[in-house]
Parts: sequence; C-alpha cells; structure tokens
Amino acid sequence: MNLGSPDRADALAAQYVLGTLRGRARRRFERAVRADRTLRDAVQRWEERLLPFAEALPPVEPPARVWQAIQASLRGARVARTTFWSSLGWWRGLAVVSLAAVVGLSIVLLKPAPERPEGTLVAVLAGSDAKAALVASADRFGRYLTIKAISRIDVPADRTLQLWILPGTGNPRSLGLIDATAAARVALSGPADEALRNIPALAVSLEPRGGSPTGLPTGPVLFSGPVQRTY
Amino acid sequence: MAVDPAKQLERNARLMELLARTALSDQRAFAELYRATSAHLYAVALRILREQPAAEEALQESFVNIWHHARSYVATKSQPLTWLTSIVRNRCLDQLRRRAVETVTMDDEDEGMAIATEDPGPLEALLAGADARAVGRCVDALEAGQKQAIALAFFQGLSHAELARHLRQPLGTVKSWIRRGLERLRTCLDGAGAGP
Repeated sequence: MNLGSPDRADALAAQYVLGTLRGRARRRFERAVRADRTLRDAVQRWEERLLPFAEALPPVEPPARVWQAIQASLRGARVARTTFWSSLGWWRGLAVVSLAAVVGLSIVLLKPAPERPEGTLVAVLAGSDAKAALVASADRFGRYLTIKAISRIDVPADRTLQLWILPGTGNPRSLGLIDATAAARVALSGPADEALRNIPALAVSLEPRGGSPTGLPTGPVLFSGPVQRTY
Repeated sequence: MAVDPAKQLERNARLMELLARTALSDQRAFAELYRATSAHLYAVALRILREQPAAEEALQESFVNIWHHARSYVATKSQPLTWLTSIVRNRCLDQLRRRAVETVTMDDEDEGMAIATEDPGPLEALLAGADARAVGRCVDALEAGQKQAIALAFFQGLSHAELARHLRQPLGTVKSWIRRGLERLRTCLDGAGAGP
C-alpha cells in the first residue's frame, strides 16, 4: 500500500479507526500496519483519541445466550488445544488459533506471525490487602520486563520502589528501580524464560532514593506476586 | 455527565487486572471482565450493526478473541476499555464489509436508526462522550457538517458513500468534512492532554 507522506499515513490511520476506511483499502491498510511499527503507533494514538467517545453510550445488557455461546466456544477450543499441543505441536496449534482469531482483532495483535512459539511471563503483584498494584510481564524470549502500575502507588519523595526477583533458594536479587507512575522496563540478564527460571515470585520494596544500600531489601515489601507462564 | 476521574482510574485498574488474569487463563476473571464490560461493548456493536443477532454474534466472537489474546494486551500501552472497544469495533466493521452490498437503508427522519427511541442519536452520543471526557470544546470546535459526519461514521459505521447519501451532500464534500474534522479533533484533543 502506498502510504505516501507521514501525514497521509496518519490520515489513513484516522480513517481506519473512525471506520470510514473500507473494503479492500481497509484490508491493504491492515497488512501495511502489520509490517510497520510507526503506523501501528499512529493507529493506537487514534484509538486513544476516538474510542473513548463511545464510553458515554447508554449500556445495553446483552442476552444471557451470548455468554453461554462464548463459554461453549471456549470449551471447544480448550479440547482442541490439548489435542494439538500433544500431537501436532505448536506450529499447527498457533495456526489454528490465529485462524480462529484472525478477523477483527485490535491492531496491537496485527503483528507478523512469530517465528518461534509465543509465550508470556506474567506476575500480578499485590499488596497485603490482596489488591493488585503492578503487573510485570515479559515475552518468553524478551530480554526485559515491562512493569505497569495498575493502581495509584504513593511513594514519599525521598523513597523509591525497587523490584526484586525472589529465587526458590538464596537471597533476593535486584532487578532495578521502578517508576510508580508510568510503565517501566527493566533489563533481564537474558531471555525471560531463562532469566526467570526457578524464580517463583517477584516483589517490590520501598527503599531510600537510589535504591537499597545493602543489595538486599531494607524497606517494607509493598507488593509481591507469583511468576506465571502462559505457555 | 462528567465521569469521576478517581472512579475511572479505579475501574481501569480493575479491568487491567482482569485482563492480566485472563491472560493467565483465569476463567473467573474472564467472567468478571465480561460482566463489567459486555453491556458497554454490546451498545457499541448494536449501534454499528443495528441488528440484535449480528451484534450478539460480534460480541461473542470478540470475547472469544479477547480470551485468546488477552496476553497481547499486557504489552500494550492502551487503556483496557479502549483495547476492548477496538476489538469489538473492528469485528463489527468486518461484518459490515461481509454483508451484501447494501442491506442498510436509512430514512432521512430516522437519523441514526437508534435501537430504542430513547437512545441518543449519534450527534448527542458524540457530545455526551465529549462531556464525559471534558473535551466538549474539541467537539464544539468542529463545523456542523464535520460534527455530524464524524458522529455518524463513528457510531453508526457509515461509509463515505452512505454518509453522502444520508446527508444529501456530494461525496467530495463529505470526505473533506471527515478529513478536516479529524485533523481539527486531533489538534484539539492532543492539546487537551487527551492524546498520547
């Protein structure tokens, strides 16, 4: 697809999100988005601009049969999935899942088919009140962990949050300091699957600015959560 | 009808958590995610597809996709409801594309063909959405034609050709309303801090 100038690309992204980009042009644009990160970002920015306008629509309760149909369809998929995990392997499995889901996905999903099996490590970190505060995630082959704050965390001005991995045995190891207000990324020592092998949990402690002076958590552990794998 | 920002923050946090748990195949979290968002998403689908069975199908397929792809969400910067809405809208727009060339007829009086008569028309919906986000001036800054065309395209899923017919304007006029209206919205929304 000829996207021309950045202005034209942004205008197409706007029409795509608004819905006026139709038919073959829409298909061509989706293909272009898959190959182009800048375009993907442009679409995401337009989604953030336009889609919240729909939030004030009066809600309409869907009939109960919709939920029943969703459950029935997922039961079918679960059965199918165990079959191809054991017999056909990931490649075929991935193809079937992608085929089932190929239409109507948000743009964030429109990335090229991965050349290796997908998988994500996720840890939901919660405080003593069991309320989730942070979500840490990493692609299994990724070399960094993304940390997102999902509730407000008040950190005194002279303190900072420090992220730790808690090995099954031995001392916690620091993954670095994190920002409580925005999404943060911390580097891992290798691909997440290996770096977090035998790491049952992550934790966040409150430390003096600049981080723990001792190399071990010194302040209270505010949040912690188990490392889980989607693969 | 401005939304309380603290409440909104709390709701977003809850939805993010439910999506994160859904990514881990937590069926209870998925059920709660459905309960928390399906009425909103169904309203979005009904507006675009204008038929209950089609909207139900779109909602169902969207949630099946959400179950399978929640883990893709975790890595994005999107707000949870925005991500969910984009999945449903794209699903609906795909369905429109697959429909026979023209199954949609629109009477001039029947602006928007809302499902229930007490539902606001697209223009009112746009204004309500703007009020809720405190970006009313961005919608006010649009010319009347731009406002109407954008509202109809966004809420009812009308194409350029359908807009031209519905608004009884030349295709070129409608296209330029949409294009300029979007440019104006972008400038204003990004300035209002509602952009990225």
